[in-house]
Amino acid sequence: MKNTLRVERAIHALTQEDLANRIAVSRQTIHAIEAGKYVPSTVLALKIARLFGKPVESIFMLEDGD
Amino acid sequence: MNTNLLLPHRFKVIGWWILIPAFGLGVLHSITEFEAEWLHARVFAFWSDNLFAQGHFFQRYETNITATIIGVVLVLGGLLVGFSREKVEDEYIANLRLTSLMWAVWVNYLLLLVALLFIWGLPFLTVMVYNMFTVLVIFIVRFNILLHRQPREIA
Repeated sequence: MKNTLRVERAIHALTQEDLANRIAVSRQTIHAIEAGKYVPSTVLALKIARLFGKPVESIFMLEDGD
Repeated sequence: MNTNLLLPHRFKVIGWWILIPAFGLGVLHSITEFEAEWLHARVFAFWSDNLFAQGHFFQRYETNITATIIGVVLVLGGLLVGFSREKVEDEYIANLRLTSLMWAVWVNYLLLLVALLFIWGLPFLTVMVYNMFTVLVIFIVRFNILLHRQPREIA
């Protein structure tokens, strides 16, 4: 699964730490998601989407092989 | 992972203060086999033996408990460090914890297999002593390395 988390974060001028604090997760979690090493739960994906005011599909998208 | 099985975060710090000295003493003990005189004690045993007879059950037993104390403290410290919550214990951390634990069990038993096949006689007893602690120690090392490996943040 791909995601545009890093881009969204840049648009809103948030550091990984800021974003982590806003949605009550660890900074490591944000890093792992951005690095494509961790696929967040549906709950976490929805929380991220709500924070950026976008549908989940515009931030997280399937890739070939998923 | 069921986070109900985790202790509050403050126990992790306490755990490090117990684990590190205990680990040092453990290494020292395995090298020098020192025994503190004042740690000679009569203890209660579920199962014990002595030079003249074997297979006593539920009896008093007289021995030096230096190694016992070190072992108990090492296990307690390890449990506190390994199974306390992180400051923010979220789903990714839980995932990391679980995969580290699985990795530790794998490594531990692969090492044990090698030891079973290639270590014979009294040294095998030494291996068994180390093996009491290796799962916990490997898990703690693996989990904390993965957790604290500082990721480069590209703004």
